[in-house]
Amino acid sequence: VKASNSLSFSLQAKMSRPVQARRLEGIDKNIWVEFVKLAATYSKVNLGQGFPDFPAPDFLTEAFTRALGRGNHMLHQYTRAFGHPPLVKVLAQFFEKLLGRDLDPMTNVMVTVGAYQALFCCFQALVDEGDEVIIIEPFFDCYEPMVKMAGGTPVFVPLRPNPPKDGKLMSSADWQLDPAELASKFSERTKAIVLNSPNNPLGKVFSCGELGLIAELCVKHDVLCISDEVYEWLVYDGKQHIRIASLQGMWDRTVIIGSAGKTFSATGWKVGWVVGPDRLLQHLRTVHQNSVYHCATIAQEAVAQGFQRELMLYGKPESYFVQLPKELQQKRDWLVQSLDGVGMKPIVPEGTYFLVADISQFKSDVPDVPNSDEPYDYRFAKWMVKNKGLAAIPLSAFYSETHKNNYTNFIRFCFAKEEATLKAANDILQKWKREKSSS
Amino acid sequence: MFLASRNFCCHGIRTCQLGTDLLSRSIKHSASATMPFRHKNTRRIEGLDSNVWVEFTKVAADPSIVNLGQGLPDISPPSYVKEELAKVAAVDRLNQYTRGFGHPSLVKALSQVYEQVCGRKIDPLTDILVTVGAYGSLFSTIQALIEEGDEVIIVEPFYDCYEPMVKMAGAKPVFIPLRCKSDGNSASSADWVLDPAELANKFNSKTKAIILNTPHNPIGKVFTREELQVIADLCIKHDTLCISDEVYEWLVYKGNKHIKIATLPGMWERTVTIGSAGKTYSVTGWKLGWSIGPEYLIKHLQVVHQNTLYTCPTPLQEALAQAFWIDYKRMDDPDCYFYSLSRELESKRDRMAQLLKEAGLKPVIPDGGYFMIVDVSTLNVDLSDVDEKQPYDYKFVKWMIASKKLSAIPLSAFCGPETKKQFEKYIRFCFIKKDSTLDAAEEILKNWNKQKS
Repeated sequence: VKASNSLSFSLQAKMSRPVQARRLEGIDKNIWVEFVKLAATYSKVNLGQGFPDFPAPDFLTEAFTRALGRGNHMLHQYTRAFGHPPLVKVLAQFFEKLLGRDLDPMTNVMVTVGAYQALFCCFQALVDEGDEVIIIEPFFDCYEPMVKMAGGTPVFVPLRPNPPKDGKLMSSADWQLDPAELASKFSERTKAIVLNSPNNPLGKVFSCGELGLIAELCVKHDVLCISDEVYEWLVYDGKQHIRIASLQGMWDRTVIIGSAGKTFSATGWKVGWVVGPDRLLQHLRTVHQNSVYHCATIAQEAVAQGFQRELMLYGKPESYFVQLPKELQQKRDWLVQSLDGVGMKPIVPEGTYFLVADISQFKSDVPDVPNSDEPYDYRFAKWMVKNKGLAAIPLSAFYSETHKNNYTNFIRFCFAKEEATLKAANDILQKWKREKSSS
Repeated sequence: MFLASRNFCCHGIRTCQLGTDLLSRSIKHSASATMPFRHKNTRRIEGLDSNVWVEFTKVAADPSIVNLGQGLPDISPPSYVKEELAKVAAVDRLNQYTRGFGHPSLVKALSQVYEQVCGRKIDPLTDILVTVGAYGSLFSTIQALIEEGDEVIIVEPFYDCYEPMVKMAGAKPVFIPLRCKSDGNSASSADWVLDPAELANKFNSKTKAIILNTPHNPIGKVFTREELQVIADLCIKHDTLCISDEVYEWLVYKGNKHIKIATLPGMWERTVTIGSAGKTYSVTGWKLGWSIGPEYLIKHLQVVHQNTLYTCPTPLQEALAQAFWIDYKRMDDPDCYFYSLSRELESKRDRMAQLLKEAGLKPVIPDGGYFMIVDVSTLNVDLSDVDEKQPYDYKFVKWMIASKKLSAIPLSAFCGPETKKQFEKYIRFCFIKKDSTLDAAEEILKNWNKQKS
């Protein structure tokens, strides 16, 4: 529709034709925009969005300050576009040991603006219109819109809960893929599967057998694996994080994604990376150089220092990668006890700093509204933050549109919080329980 | 330094690998083990893998080379800017996520500064998006508003990323060159103009947007109000968007004024204006930029942003906000960095021009920005024996780097396919360099002439 010929008529007019690109269709909604605002407005205790409320480790912030203090003002200028040399070098060194193979820092590693941008590069580089991408539910919510923005078709396969028979608390390990169901999702149009282990929101740490199953299917169907391993260091109870890229046949078809934000408790630095074979990373580099091109220099310098320290201390008790999971395991156990104590049933996570709990026993406070356009747990979480001041995220935020009503009695808590915060959460929960008992 | 690498691999992995005999056998028998690798690049990035910077920053990385190529300052950012960043390192919560579309104190500061400049109300939450550099703003704008079937007008020479970004969005770039009005004898960037009739012909019903860059990289042209009005009239007539890359907005030299096309009547509603912290504060490594425009356009950029990287780094945004407050308070004062930087650069510009003239070259004096283009054909360097299919200016710069230890950027990197021939006698120098760098360049240029005779 053209603007009218009269110039004065159209002078203050907006564009009269549809202005946005079709690739934005269906991806404009975002849970965080709404829930972050709610938490900011109402919450007294915020266990919602996933970020620590304890400080980043001293050695990291000191590295940042030291870098600035050195007086090399070139740290304020562009560095190498695909990753600051000291950072890609130490990442290559680190991951060489973890994967048991030689890595070239220039071609097997690329730095990104958080793991988020690494995911974006993967989908834009590797997923074409008509490609199918398998996503395991529940999933970190951005996978679905990113696949769609790349013109791909998300194909969902759920983790199904198998409750323990002995009345014990459920573990994230009890949520499993059905092997036949998973196999049925692979078609000739399948381009990739997104794996997230340890898994956000459940905290599941995929076992060797489970990874082997996924690997076998990837190899059989010649499918890529986008492996989101941002919580790789946060595994509890002596469990091991196994990297699917180290399984036979997988290195050549896997892109591993990592995050300094999660590794070093500095989510606001937005430094992430990809590790993988050059013949896949070359395409991610093309996307990167045509979208953001460079990442900020100084944070990369400081993260490189952080990794140097960890390289020296690997496996030792002072290593941050040993201390952090130890501390978080305690916090996990604390929150599990807290929730179990009031009748919210936690699913004990094997990893990450998230925990999902069944709030069925509290449903009487938030009556069900038939034909509501919102899943029950959304309404519950909103009511809870507004009325109890406790922020959490509804589990259906991590499900596809069609499956949003499959699990509506669960909410996700983040326990990467100071003791005082977890105590305050416990106080709210205890008070709530008392009010329920007395009413 | 650490124990043998074998110890690094988790026991769990070795157990896991031993346990996947079945997997291993199944792989040997799998067809894909012997099939050619089918996973090539997606269509959207076909042909977009090469890049002038990747090529030339590698070549010029040798520290013995005087680097006047890539646009990166080797002067120090102002001390208060560095100090603000040092301060934020100590604040715990600034190491965690901030608001996705822009750190609150930064978007507030940006709205205040630009309200002052534009003379209109700018809502910090709906009219602004903070991005990873102006590069990120260009990407967000193009991904949000441009798609297959669209045409986008690009003025040549252009900052090289416009073309691949438009192509990646599936659209068709339509080029129009700046032409030297004084018949090849150009002394100033003002001599380079668009032909209004030629420009008008480029617009049709498929034209979704025009990308404007003022002050212009690489020529340094500062578009006049009249020139902007011609563009604005066409945008309004054809219901076209304007993507206005104004990263060098503060770098205009005496006798020139930067005018924002968004302030012309009828243009606010159809313009996204892009700015850069890197260029404003000489901190290219902070990679922070912003898009400013009407809510109904910016909201689509925000959707792209929330699906690409979600949020920009917090500490840098906070430090930038503080720096902006300092300069906002003195926007009426000549010591404001927005003005003092351009004064500092004007004398570097003049010095650079002088050096080039003394070497027998004809620089095009820029009215803005920190680049200067030079016609090198007058030097008559014969490179016909260089066995490469590259344009003359690529060969010249490579030769200059190798034999003179001085780097620049070939201008045909900034041209569409039809115009490369027109511009292949030009190279681009960057002059936001400290005195010692310019001294070193002077040495080379002085000796250049001597060697010739």
